Amino acid sequence: MAGYFSEIFRYDFMIRAFVAILVITPLFGMLGTMIVHRKMAYFSDALGHSALTGIAIGVVCGIADTSLSMVIFAVVFAFLLNQINRKRLVATDTLISVFASCSTAIGLAILSFGGNFSKYSALLVGDILSITSREIIYLMVIFVGTLVFWFLAINKLNAISVNPTLAKSTNISVRVIEDVFAIIIALVVTLSIKWIGILLINALLILPAASARNISMNMREYHGYAIIFSVFSGVIGLVMSYFNNVATGPMIVIIASVIYFATYIYGRKRR
Amino acid sequence: MKKNNTGIFVGILLIVITLVSFSSTFFIYKRGIDGRSTQSQNSEAQDTIKIVTSFYPMYIATMNVIDGIEGVELESLSEPQTGCLHDYVLQPEDMKHLSNADLLIVNGGGIESFIQEVAETYPDLVIIQACKGIELLADGDEENAHAWMDVSLYEKQVANIAAGLADYDSAHADKYMSNASAYEKRLQPLADRMASLQQKYAGENIIIFHEAYDYVADALGMEVAFVMDLDEERQISAGEQKEVLSAISENDVKLVLADETYGKKMGDVVDADSAATTIYIDPLTRGEYYKDSYIEHMNENIDILERALADVYGK
Repeated sequence: MAGYFSEIFRYDFMIRAFVAILVITPLFGMLGTMIVHRKMAYFSDALGHSALTGIAIGVVCGIADTSLSMVIFAVVFAFLLNQINRKRLVATDTLISVFASCSTAIGLAILSFGGNFSKYSALLVGDILSITSREIIYLMVIFVGTLVFWFLAINKLNAISVNPTLAKSTNISVRVIEDVFAIIIALVVTLSIKWIGILLINALLILPAASARNISMNMREYHGYAIIFSVFSGVIGLVMSYFNNVATGPMIVIIASVIYFATYIYGRKRR
Repeated sequence: MKKNNTGIFVGILLIVITLVSFSSTFFIYKRGIDGRSTQSQNSEAQDTIKIVTSFYPMYIATMNVIDGIEGVELESLSEPQTGCLHDYVLQPEDMKHLSNADLLIVNGGGIESFIQEVAETYPDLVIIQACKGIELLADGDEENAHAWMDVSLYEKQVANIAAGLADYDSAHADKYMSNASAYEKRLQPLADRMASLQQKYAGENIIIFHEAYDYVADALGMEVAFVMDLDEERQISAGEQKEVLSAISENDVKLVLADETYGKKMGDVVDADSAATTIYIDPLTRGEYYKDSYIEHMNENIDILERALADVYGK
């Protein structure tokens, strides 16, 4: 049994994958709590879909590193969505949905030009082996950045989500904090999309936080459980995917969903 | 009190999920090991030479070259489930094979897009490119590397593989070379059949729905009037359909070569809406793994070609 587990770490690609999971899942847990709390699930989903357009733009402009165009586009997209969100003109979920579909369609149209889409289909389900050391370093930088942001702004973010008007009146720069938060989500989503996959990335953001929300009594528990669930699903999902030879993203999401249902039942019983 | 309960619940939940997933995984994994091919049974032995091939035609060629030689072990990378090997991403299973391998035999010419990555990860791995020294057909700005579809080029690939193996394992060098020439002798009748077809039909126009068939057309001396790359599942736009149909009528094309799995839909359109006939041959990107697999399937391909050509041209 011990040999069975140690086998995993004989391979560099598994060590990289493991480190990446350990960096990214706590991030997902932390961001997820805020996304769920602020009812931004649509927003992060749209960001995930925008990755396709970002890559397509990179391809059209002939940028060698399409990750760059993807990140830039996602950040711009996040700004734009935030802007629209603030106007509160139309139902936000509809508008976000329209934007997401539109950007997905543009991305698909460009990428499928000449029948080449299969080159990018790995993006839909993700590919754990494609993690490079450089991407892990990027993720670590973002991780540290997010931690700093978290400690500086978590209370303000909470205040904003409870009552924006009140928050503004207490001299909180709502705009800046919201934008920084959106940029962080955009960065995390685009940098991890290659190995989680567009179809599932939102599930990974939402599920741990939603599960934690089912059972927690206060803010501290909420965040703590979300991070625990997120890391747990990530690690177990990776190990399972290695031994069963299935894609990692779906495996992680399956574990996270099981946790969600269990906590849902538990939470309902208790109430 | 309530808070404690939640903590206990979470603890139990996580432990249960861990146990269930690992026990199920463990059984699947065990079964995978037990059910693996006999060829890798003594894979722990130090003195065996472990060869990994990238995909089907390379595997069959190598299988024939190492036939009857002791201490050589052959594995293939797990196959892509769809289409050609372009843009194939390596699976965890493949990384396992490669980390134990001494030699990797690939077709080359850009089909195995992962070579670069593999070479960087495993600098000690010797990579043999079967296409080395073969003049490949052009595909736009790139090379069309499906050389195995032309029997005479496949023979050269076999020779390249044998030369590479002989170089690495000089103790068995003679055996590799004699195996290769024996296999080439058995391939020659196929090449001869293609050559006799060429004499009859050279110069006629043809349309292909798979880049690999460029080599078939080339071996037949036929002119490719239009290429539509249908080597994987994909959407065909209306514009493309129109292009194919007008290419058929403009060039007086009578025959279209397609791959049954991915070209059937478009083939049906051609059969119904144009004067041309679509025939389906095997691009040999996948197949059963036995020694005569290539010869048998290529023979079938040539049978189909022979019949269809006689049919549409009446000679």
